[in-house]
Amino acid sequence: MNKQILEIDHLTVTIGDDKIIKDISMSFYRKKVTAIMGPSGCGKTTLVRCINRMHELIPNTVVSGSISLYKKNIYEMNPIMVRREIGMVFQRPNPFPTMSIYDNVIAGYILNGIKLKRTEKDQIVESSLHKAGLWNEVKDALHRRGAFLSGGQQQRLCIARALAMKPRVLLLDEPTSALDPKSTAHIEDLISELKETVTIIMVTHNIGQASRVSDFTAFLYLGELIEYGTTEKLFTVPDDKRTEEYLSRKFG
Amino acid sequence: MDQLSTRLFKDLAFRIYLVITTMILLVPLGLILYYIVRNGIAVISWDFLTSLPKPPGTSGAGIANAIVGSGLLIGTAALLSIPFGITLGLFLTEFSNSRLASVVRICVEILQGIPSIVIGIMAYLWIVVPMGGFSALSGGIALALMMLPMIIRSTEETLKLIPHSLKEASLGLGVPYYRTMIKIIVPAGFNGILTGILLGVARVAGETAPLLFTAFGNPFMTLNVTQPINSLPLIIYNFATSPYADWQQIAWGASLILILFVLGLSLLTRTLIKR
Amino acid sequence: MTALLVGILVTIFYQSWPSIHAYGLQFYVGGKWDPVFKEYSALPFIAGTLITTLLSLVMATPIALSLAIFSGFYVKSGFLSSAIRTLVDLLAGIPSVIYGFWGLFVLVPMIRKLELFLGVVPYGVGVFTSSLILAIMIIPYAASIGRDVISMVPNDLKEAGLALGATPFEVVHRVVLPYAKSGLLSGILLSFGRAIGETMAVTMVIGNANFIPKSIFDPANTMSSVIANEFAEATDPLYISNLIHLGLILFVTTTLIGFIGRAIIRRWSIH
Repeated sequence: MNKQILEIDHLTVTIGDDKIIKDISMSFYRKKVTAIMGPSGCGKTTLVRCINRMHELIPNTVVSGSISLYKKNIYEMNPIMVRREIGMVFQRPNPFPTMSIYDNVIAGYILNGIKLKRTEKDQIVESSLHKAGLWNEVKDALHRRGAFLSGGQQQRLCIARALAMKPRVLLLDEPTSALDPKSTAHIEDLISELKETVTIIMVTHNIGQASRVSDFTAFLYLGELIEYGTTEKLFTVPDDKRTEEYLSRKFG
Repeated sequence: MDQLSTRLFKDLAFRIYLVITTMILLVPLGLILYYIVRNGIAVISWDFLTSLPKPPGTSGAGIANAIVGSGLLIGTAALLSIPFGITLGLFLTEFSNSRLASVVRICVEILQGIPSIVIGIMAYLWIVVPMGGFSALSGGIALALMMLPMIIRSTEETLKLIPHSLKEASLGLGVPYYRTMIKIIVPAGFNGILTGILLGVARVAGETAPLLFTAFGNPFMTLNVTQPINSLPLIIYNFATSPYADWQQIAWGASLILILFVLGLSLLTRTLIKR
Repeated sequence: MTALLVGILVTIFYQSWPSIHAYGLQFYVGGKWDPVFKEYSALPFIAGTLITTLLSLVMATPIALSLAIFSGFYVKSGFLSSAIRTLVDLLAGIPSVIYGFWGLFVLVPMIRKLELFLGVVPYGVGVFTSSLILAIMIIPYAASIGRDVISMVPNDLKEAGLALGATPFEVVHRVVLPYAKSGLLSGILLSFGRAIGETMAVTMVIGNANFIPKSIFDPANTMSSVIANEFAEATDPLYISNLIHLGLILFVTTTLIGFIGRAIIRRWSIH
């Protein structure tokens, strides 16, 4: 039986006068990849940002319901601690331009003021870059700034940076939509490997990507959870008509 | 976690520090406004606004000539700088990518940065010396030089935002180019251009340095632009630094009037910008 | 317009020429300024200008930086943000002569008390007082450049920092400020240039002494204040030319600083 690591319970999110998320409940399974799909404006990015409490940056946001990580309600924790356990990679790669590649990887530790010994730092940098599939390409340039890296490489650097914090869950917000097809394929392969280490929740508008990479898929529409199940089932025999329409309109 | 609470503490402390340093600004602002209002109000009266300055010790003195002088100087400056400024702003928008436009832009930047006293020296050398004496005209020219960059900038910025289609529609109807500009484009940018003008006026209304050796000041009322003339900032400067208590009183009154004018103008421009 | 500017340049050089011709570089390093004895040197005023301006920047920068961070990072919009902007605009709109007047009658007595307390000659006027007023006057300008610079730091980076579990302070400290560093430094440079040209307020509280100040409580003169004080009464052509020469120094310095400062910011914001 798949173990549930993250549970969303009756989550409703209102921004200003608009209800963006309407009473969603779902569970995410440990060390699996769950894709969240849906047309623009369905609330998928908002949902994912609630999981690491980044939605709090938007003014006039009201949240009801709860999200629990290993049964601990994240809304009762300090957001800083939540974000140490739940990492995020953004749509557009955003490595810190004033830091070297090396420092970028351990940026989480630097920012949090955690002091590490040199050997510990080296070890974390190397293993995170390995996991992100970037080590061989940058191992001789660790102390240079990352500006020369391609988009795909920068994104992998951001993945390494998030992984360095050893989070339980990794949130990916449309991680390849700003990248070229080759880098996209690279990162999709990476995601399949990464799930051995960390639970992945991925927002994507690319249906092909969801079908290639994810174990579970959730379909959101206008803030509601329409259907949620194994990717295989959703893509072949979806229960809900709207799911079918969404999938076929994109495929057909 | 001890470390977490230290970090949260630092975060909160920083936020408090920011709030305090921001509030610090309220102190000088408050003090300045307080003293001006307190001392100025005591002096203001209709007579004050309509009489001329008198020798110290004489009662019934006022700042009428300074008010009129300020008006005349600003008027002259506006008359000189507005047409020239709008035209240049228009030029910069229309020929935005030309070599000449870049040169002009650099010149405008330079002009904007010149200290006001240096502008005063320029006006002195070009106008006062050939004319053989101080005059409102030279003061007006100095102020015009200071208003010019602001008008040019705001005109260019406003006109840039006007959609091309407007110009094309007019030209397409057979309206000649200069007419299109004057009757259609400039009026369309009226709000923005006016804002620039008002900001320029607010700035030069309070300027003293360029007037020190151009308009120079005048104890009497005059409307003649070839004569030296008084203005609010000048009378404040001269009377404030004088050793006479009643003249200093007048300076407070003049300061109140000047501040009301300048700040009032700023508020006006803000409401205009919101539109 | 170009004609205008070239005209300005030419005139000022031309009129300074007699001074330059008579003194050459000595003008900048030589002894004192004493028109009565026909001794002229820019040194006391260069010193006066540098000391007052630098001191005022030291006082103004912490506050301007706080304002910039507060309104560029924390409170970018909303009621509080416009309230702060209004506050800063009001301060910026007060004419220089009024700052000077207020300084003369309100600040100077306070400083005098301070000087008595410190056992220093209670001039009241002097370098310290004018730096103080200059600092108040330059804060709005510096803060608005700072605010623009800081709000130009991409939001992406702020989010990346927060997503890694950093507190807002840590994001400011480790991400925003390093990124904004060169922009902020040129903001300081530009404020320096602005402050150098400030005339009236300084003239009214600096004490009008044509000597290099020995302490910050001494009276002195800056290049602009000596011009303001003496130009109208200068009769000797060499005297006038020397004053104009000071104006030339001001012109060249402010223009150069303006160019360099703006170029750095332009280069940085493309980055």
